[in-house]
Amino acid sequence: MTDITITKTAFFQASRETVWSFLTTKEKLGKWFHPAENDLVEGEPYSLIGTANDGAKMKICWGTVLQMNFPEKLVWSFTVNALEGVMTTVSWDLEEVNGGTKLTLTHSGLDASGSGLELITMLDAGWDMHLGKLRDANK
Amino acid sequence: MDTEIQNTFRALADSTRRDILMHLSAKEMTIAEVSAHFDMTRAAVKKHLVILEEGQLISARRIGRETLNKLEPEGLKTAFSWISYFSEFWNVKLQNLQSAIEEEGKSKND
Repeated sequence: MTDITITKTAFFQASRETVWSFLTTKEKLGKWFHPAENDLVEGEPYSLIGTANDGAKMKICWGTVLQMNFPEKLVWSFTVNALEGVMTTVSWDLEEVNGGTKLTLTHSGLDASGSGLELITMLDAGWDMHLGKLRDANK
Repeated sequence: MDTEIQNTFRALADSTRRDILMHLSAKEMTIAEVSAHFDMTRAAVKKHLVILEEGQLISARRIGRETLNKLEPEGLKTAFSWISYFSEFWNVKLQNLQSAIEEEGKSKND
């Protein structure tokens, strides 16, 4: 198994506390990702909930909140249907930069040999919607 | 944003287009041959083929009056790679997050 890590950074004109709230509270997670079942709690499982094509609620992403070090570091174990039960790790690091916040996302534990068919199934349900949101966001 | 990957995902995110790919994996086909497998007009099939071509999943070549459509399996490789999938996934999420935070900033200043 080849371990793959994705690292991304983003800057925000907002305090770390504000960015943190978007990563940990159920409503604010819903504004950019999917709403959580509950606000995130260290050591507890979490689920991000979406709506299927037939209107039913379904878990989109889930795992456990492994670490919450307010307002600096948040670590989730993370999986989606298409990963077929493989748990990966998502870490969020928040640094104060010039009055704003630098957010670094590290997604590790991805297996390069992941199944393509399952991926496509997931894309069918979710990808169009996210691209739509992105387009709206860039208008 | 990487438009090539985006086009590939867009092409794959539709069950009819995935069916078309399955048919093309057997052999090269004209639009008429592809259409014979579906309850759709040729124009509708043509639209799907254009999107598949934009996604670099098929190529089209003209032979006389016919256009033959061919599966390009290399195009699938990108989409099947987890790193490109999640890389794109997080690009979208982080951009959503940026707009969500900006929105909140605006409403506070109002």
